[in-house]
Amino acid sequence: MADFATVVQIWFAALFTIWIYSIAFRDNLFFKFAEHTFVGAAAGHSLVYGVDNVLRYGWAPFIAGNYLYIIVFILGLLLYTRYHGDYFWVSRFPLAVIVGIGIGLAMRTTVTAEFIAQIQSTAGTKLLGVDAWTAFSNLVFIIITLSVVYYFIFTFPKMHAGGLGIISTIAKYGMMAAFGYSFANTVLSRYNMIFGRFDFIMSTWLPLPYAMIALPVALILLIYSMIPAEKRPWPKTQK
Amino acid sequence: MGKESKTIWDRLEDIPREVLYGILIITFIMPMLFPIGFPVPISPEVQRWYNFIDNLPAGSAIMIDFGYSGGGEPELGPMAVAVYHHIFRKGGLKAITMSTSIEGTLLWDKAMAEINPAQYGRQYGVDYIHIGYITGTETAMAAVGKSIRATTTTDYHGASLDSFPIMNGIDNAGDFSLLICYTTGGDQSEGWVRQWYTTYQTPYLCAVLAMMVPTMLPYQKAGQIVSLVSGAQAGQMELLVGKPARGIKSADVITMTHILCLVLVVVGNIAYFGKKFSGGKK
Repeated sequence: MADFATVVQIWFAALFTIWIYSIAFRDNLFFKFAEHTFVGAAAGHSLVYGVDNVLRYGWAPFIAGNYLYIIVFILGLLLYTRYHGDYFWVSRFPLAVIVGIGIGLAMRTTVTAEFIAQIQSTAGTKLLGVDAWTAFSNLVFIIITLSVVYYFIFTFPKMHAGGLGIISTIAKYGMMAAFGYSFANTVLSRYNMIFGRFDFIMSTWLPLPYAMIALPVALILLIYSMIPAEKRPWPKTQK
Repeated sequence: MGKESKTIWDRLEDIPREVLYGILIITFIMPMLFPIGFPVPISPEVQRWYNFIDNLPAGSAIMIDFGYSGGGEPELGPMAVAVYHHIFRKGGLKAITMSTSIEGTLLWDKAMAEINPAQYGRQYGVDYIHIGYITGTETAMAAVGKSIRATTTTDYHGASLDSFPIMNGIDNAGDFSLLICYTTGGDQSEGWVRQWYTTYQTPYLCAVLAMMVPTMLPYQKAGQIVSLVSGAQAGQMELLVGKPARGIKSADVITMTHILCLVLVVVGNIAYFGKKFSGGKK
């Protein structure tokens, strides 16, 4: 048997799941409550971690003798000048440092990781010395890759006119197939998320004492809250 | 003006969303109550993932990024749990975990409670550790790759890293034989390619949400990722590891709901063409 704190946690998690999913049917008071609570909790969680990060990665090395960290603290504090009408421009300096470091770190390997490696991989696609099905797949891959690259050359409109338009058409079909694949995968992800919550409700919450009674009560209250305010006996207003 | 009567095609095109969601919920719940037992074939990617870990020599260190958020837990959680089972069962491996997601540490605790490493005789600080959420995403990856101790000196509970035997001789990307990332964000899955695979050639296994797979596939094709799987394939990993759990349970439900999705697409198309050929608007 789970301890009291865990049981409370499970009850909250289950009820909030039901309340959040209720938006699929109609907006209601319980959804709003769950939504606002989630936003508040997430903000609180982020704030706590923000403070923890400052202590762990800034303050701890500073008091350990790495006094250069004072520069980081000053830059961090300067970010808050954006809330001052006259000195908001100062916040651009720390922001520039953040953006500069981010871009610098990403760029040092981007050319290799996302340009050269991808071109090498595409250029290395084999049509000979592989089985017939692989050769066919690779041929389709090559045709669609080249036609999609061609499709995005906008500088010379004549490249898409007349008979050359067939290349753009192939590119469009290729991209539509890719979007379809992407959509199907998105559906899979979403269904998995719903399954996770349903599984939690059925396997973890419902076996707890009184949960089987609470479920229909929660559903009845939900349905009642979905009735438009003017059509229900009480309360007549909805904020 | 009189209200125009709706044809059967109009009704099919405008099925209220409440009805659709209702059908969806029933389709979800029925296979959970009455499992069908659809087969779960093992894909080459999952097999390659499993084999890679299985072939790691004793003493190898693995960097694991718990980079997923709470929303992605139902999909990526079962995969992470199954892989940990494999790592712990095999033994002799050092599983060093960090989080590039703010919720990662909480979800790691949840995963550990589910796994119970003690059943394999594995100890915190000896066989596995969590060095905490490290902010900055790609900056964090680069920093940890260069030096873990220069980035953080403590684990996620604030205890000194030097007090844990698992951290002996481990400080930078060169000390790791494998990198595993579970993530709901493209910044993480692609960031590790840039900051670890490209810079240090660390073999990389990546588990993402199914919707991210199309974006990540080119990296696998280019050999930058050893194996790319979606969390939805967790059932396959559970079968390989011999620990059937949430992933397997979801197989029937996911199959049934996808069949429903196909049926609804067909119904929508029938309504569209029916309306078109019966003289209605396009």
